[in-house]
Amino acid sequence: MTRTIKRVLYVLAVVAVVLGIYGFGSRLLFGERDVNYGSYVNWGLWVAMYLFFAGLAAGSFMVATLDYLFEIPLFKGTGKWALWATVVTLPAALVLIGFDLGHMERIWKVYLQPNFSSLLAQLVWSYTTFLVVALATLGRVMFGRLRWLKPVMVLGLAIAIFVSGGVGALLGVNAARVSFQNAMLPAQFPVLNLASGIALLLVMIGFFGVVADAERRTRLMRVLSLAMVVLLAVKAYFLWVDYSQALYSQTLEATAVAEQVLFGPYWWAFWILQLGLGVVVPAIVLVMPSTSRRGPLAGLMGVFVLVGLAVGRTSIIFPALAFPEFEGLVEAFTGPHLGLDYTPSLMEWSVTVGVLGMATLAYLVGMDRLPLFKPRTEVAA
Amino acid sequence: MVDDQRGRLPEVDRRRFLQGLLGTGVAAALASYEVFAVEPAAVAAQDPPAAPTGPMTALSSDTVQVDVLERMRVELLAAMARPVADRRWVMVIDLRKCVGCHACTIACVAENKLPPGVVYRPVIEEEFGTYPNVGRRFIPRPCMQCDNPPCVPVCPVNATFKNEDGVVVVDYPQCIGCRACLTACPYSARTADFNHVYTAGTPVAQDGIVGQDTAGRYELLPMFEYQEARPREHGESPVGNARKCHFCLHRIKAGELPACVTTCIGRATLFGDANDPGSLVAQMIALPSVFRLKEELGTDPRVFYIS
Repeated sequence: MTRTIKRVLYVLAVVAVVLGIYGFGSRLLFGERDVNYGSYVNWGLWVAMYLFFAGLAAGSFMVATLDYLFEIPLFKGTGKWALWATVVTLPAALVLIGFDLGHMERIWKVYLQPNFSSLLAQLVWSYTTFLVVALATLGRVMFGRLRWLKPVMVLGLAIAIFVSGGVGALLGVNAARVSFQNAMLPAQFPVLNLASGIALLLVMIGFFGVVADAERRTRLMRVLSLAMVVLLAVKAYFLWVDYSQALYSQTLEATAVAEQVLFGPYWWAFWILQLGLGVVVPAIVLVMPSTSRRGPLAGLMGVFVLVGLAVGRTSIIFPALAFPEFEGLVEAFTGPHLGLDYTPSLMEWSVTVGVLGMATLAYLVGMDRLPLFKPRTEVAA
Repeated sequence: MVDDQRGRLPEVDRRRFLQGLLGTGVAAALASYEVFAVEPAAVAAQDPPAAPTGPMTALSSDTVQVDVLERMRVELLAAMARPVADRRWVMVIDLRKCVGCHACTIACVAENKLPPGVVYRPVIEEEFGTYPNVGRRFIPRPCMQCDNPPCVPVCPVNATFKNEDGVVVVDYPQCIGCRACLTACPYSARTADFNHVYTAGTPVAQDGIVGQDTAGRYELLPMFEYQEARPREHGESPVGNARKCHFCLHRIKAGELPACVTTCIGRATLFGDANDPGSLVAQMIALPSVFRLKEELGTDPRVFYIS
């Protein structure tokens, strides 16, 4: 079963990378000419998926601390899977946000000429440090040098929480955007990121075993399932808080943005993908002891949760930016990239799918080739 | 027979109509003359000058109306002679005079060679009221050149800042194109340059004045924002950058008013040094009907509106 799933994932990942070639080529040859985001909806799919992948990286690191920092016996052996996920998903996030830059070749300026009052600069520095810490941790674990591991994990955990909240603050500091300017965002993101880290571990255990001891694996899946259900309940509460307050407030922008998410043309993304597939279905399946112990099913629920979280990022970014800062501004001057209706272009999808494919491929290759995974993978298989 | 009559007005009706039209025109002309005759001083301060009927030397000084443009240009030159720290450039937009001709928008596009999708000064058209009591309003929206600009602190590389003139500028070679400033601006006053040209996909008209051969070459010629010549090239700034109105700093340095000011046919857009108490803009921003957009955000804009 595990081998079949892995083969399928290999094929899907390679197909995704091939599909990404068009997007990568277009972006590198013609710049951002073929994207559909613009000057009003100025952040699009790549930024939303950057938030998602960066959240996955931070959440996976948080999960890794359960093994390497807090040394919870039940989680023994899971840390390396989570760490490898951090090391793979963080570059995926950075590639996507790099492609979103008008001048990605000038990224060095953020290191050598930074403006630290900018949250973006703080995040770039933090992500870089985070990647170094994650790589250092992985290296120490891989080669059995466990001295200084805990202090490094403490540092990594602190950065993981900081970057999670920082991304929320990156949006929240914008007083110009009523829907963003919300102290809840920096508070919500670390929790949602932890949820994504646990969902990914659920996928790993459900699809690949991870823990050789069957009895412990079953208990671990039950604990992860219940943790997932609790986090999904918290996520549902966050959604209720966000949208009920926006609707009750009756302020023009907040209400309009909430209505756009709930009843706009992409209502199905919220109700079906984010809430139905991403919260309700996995919560029902995982809360029941009988179904939550079925590995592949629990893994599939983890995938659903991740899809819901990814869609959730788009619900935060797009509708808020699509609300005009002045009525009539869009009609005042027309041209390419000056609209408020945003649907990602083929090129944007191509790049996103390609990056997802590369991250998946990298993870699978690591599972098969890294000495870190060899003994246990064989046992699990 | 019936069809023939249906398509023509009776001769007597047409004559009556023309007489009525003539009468109305004469009445309107007399009425407008009366307005000018009653309050000549008030009109002289704000309207374009009448066409001269003879040599300038033949006119006495009190009959010559000074265009506000000329007054502002003189004030600009005087302001430029003062230390930069003593100047405070402001723009005043008199909404009562804006007719929504969009000449300022076009002048700005031409002056700064803006590509498709980049706009510094759109004019927002607003309709309000309920029929038959309806009205229209035109609101030009340049960059507000805020004294507390939200776009500045969010820039990760200090590529945007208030320069010594108090104008929020973009250092194109420094900008990484993250568009965080676009998100932060409460006025949507920034647009990103996505590398478009007007002549893409247009027919090739060899040796003509239009089409890709000639117009396309013009599009690639340098623009001169911030007094620097920048040809339009793929991957080179300002392509990929955030762009915005800069009060035509390059013109100001040359002693000229911003392009949107000089082309405003209603003289609705005024510009000058608010620190000069005798300047036109200093007088205008003291009017009780003056306001600024989204003042509640604390951005302290330097663009004032009069309604």
